[in-house]
Amino acid sequence: MSAISEFLAAKDIWRDPLLASVIAGGLCGFLGVYVVLRRTVFVSAALTQLSTLGLICALLAEESLHIEAEHAGVQLAVAILFSVAGALVLGALQVRRRLPAEAGVGIAYVVAGALVVLGANRLVHAAHDLNSMVFGNAVAVPFSDVLVLGAVALVCAAVHTAFAKELVFTSFDGETAAALGYSTRTWNGLLYFTIGLAIPAAARALGALPVFAFLTIPASAALLFSTRLRTAFAVATLLGVLAAAGGYALSWIWQLPTGATMVALAGLFVIPGAIAKGARG
Amino acid sequence: METDAELRTPRAEPGAAGAGGAPLVSLEGATIGYDAPLLEGVDLAVARGDFLAIVGPNGGGKTTILRTLLGVLPPLAGTRSQPAPVRTGYVPQRDHVDAYWPLTVADVTLMGRYRGLGLGRRPGSGDRAEVARALARVGIADLAPRSFRTLSGGQRQRTLIARALASSPELLALDEPTNGMDPAAELSAMDILRDLHRQGGLAVVMVSHRLEAVANYARRLAFADKDKGLWRLGPLEEMLTPEALSALYGRAVTVREEGGRRFVYPEGGGERA
Repeated sequence: MSAISEFLAAKDIWRDPLLASVIAGGLCGFLGVYVVLRRTVFVSAALTQLSTLGLICALLAEESLHIEAEHAGVQLAVAILFSVAGALVLGALQVRRRLPAEAGVGIAYVVAGALVVLGANRLVHAAHDLNSMVFGNAVAVPFSDVLVLGAVALVCAAVHTAFAKELVFTSFDGETAAALGYSTRTWNGLLYFTIGLAIPAAARALGALPVFAFLTIPASAALLFSTRLRTAFAVATLLGVLAAAGGYALSWIWQLPTGATMVALAGLFVIPGAIAKGARG
Repeated sequence: METDAELRTPRAEPGAAGAGGAPLVSLEGATIGYDAPLLEGVDLAVARGDFLAIVGPNGGGKTTILRTLLGVLPPLAGTRSQPAPVRTGYVPQRDHVDAYWPLTVADVTLMGRYRGLGLGRRPGSGDRAEVARALARVGIADLAPRSFRTLSGGQRQRTLIARALASSPELLALDEPTNGMDPAAELSAMDILRDLHRQGGLAVVMVSHRLEAVANYARRLAFADKDKGLWRLGPLEEMLTPEALSALYGRAVTVREEGGRRFVYPEGGGERA
């Protein structure tokens, strides 16, 4: 039996993880357009770290303090709490600049990263789980996680459909939007809220590092392809889906690490975009 | 030599609106600034049909005054009054707008309609017709499908003016609209503003660090310099006097008219061209 036949025969095993990967890939691809255009790539990196820190805190609470946090839903809720809180704070920093916004992002990234290392060092039983959470191993995703991810994707889709023009305007030209009476702090907060919500949910399916990659690479490739914003959103979403699904299938067939395969495949999508951009001049 | 206090507008004439009628928006005894005061005692009223230019050095507080007038920043002291809602068009400094976004000229101009649409509503054919009209008013109707990022500086500036006009504004506010332009593009942009103003009713408030750019267009001038504690406002003819100009520039300044245009020369700055 060929590797592809084996893959197809194991449908019951990979159906839920693949579905989760596809939703996460599409969601991160879409949101990544804002992340790249607003030049806040490292905000998503910091939020990914904060989300991982939330997981570590939940696992430490379970192991060290014997607080009931073994259920995946509790861990995800804590990760979302950390990520959304970080998103709102970092979003506010983009508007109110006592320090350059990059400084706040850098501090959040390195401090959260250091705390992740320190926390992981204290973990005993859950250390092996953490590896797959950070680097991605979408082999086993329970259906409950797929449902959570689907719900998060629906919330994000609803927000971005209803308030597309406000989010685009305040992101593109916040100064003018503020002069016309928009509360740029509120709209930035809403945008970062959706990003902060998506990161932990997607990270449970793909892993933290692939999520950071998916918030950057599909959007960058799409922006090289596209001369219209609407097209960029559609192409980035599609590339996120293709990289997640294709990477998952290839990792199964060739017995490769799942997250790394997805990221490598997403990276390949930048090449035709760069060629198309070069041809356009 | 004049003191800082003497340089400010007398309180008896608190920034009276130049074009008559009830002010659209006004500042009275305002202290402007972000966290710390930049300028105190700012009196300024803008009425329908006004054409006011706020002039001063870079970093002198002009943009902060404009942002306070528009209600983006609250005054640290004093009051800001706006008797009724005012449809405002705003033109930011051209290089403050990120040209990397994949947007067409029509997309950017359409943003001028967003505020009037309200939450959740999408632009319709009427909004697109207004966009076409606004682009035609600034002479770039043919550029509507072009990518914003591929435009020249002057074309981008016209696009941003068209976006401000797309909201059918009563008040048009511009922050350094000719910054970084070559002389021909600067004249062209200012001619557009003059023509829009002449079409009637529109109040124009613009900020510029180049007095010469506005001296032939504005009806009222304001000088602002936070380092000198200077805030002075008056009709163009009163403000283009050697005494008023030397308060702004700290040196003798000559205003000469030639071919119907005013030219402003700081004295003692080396040989004239």
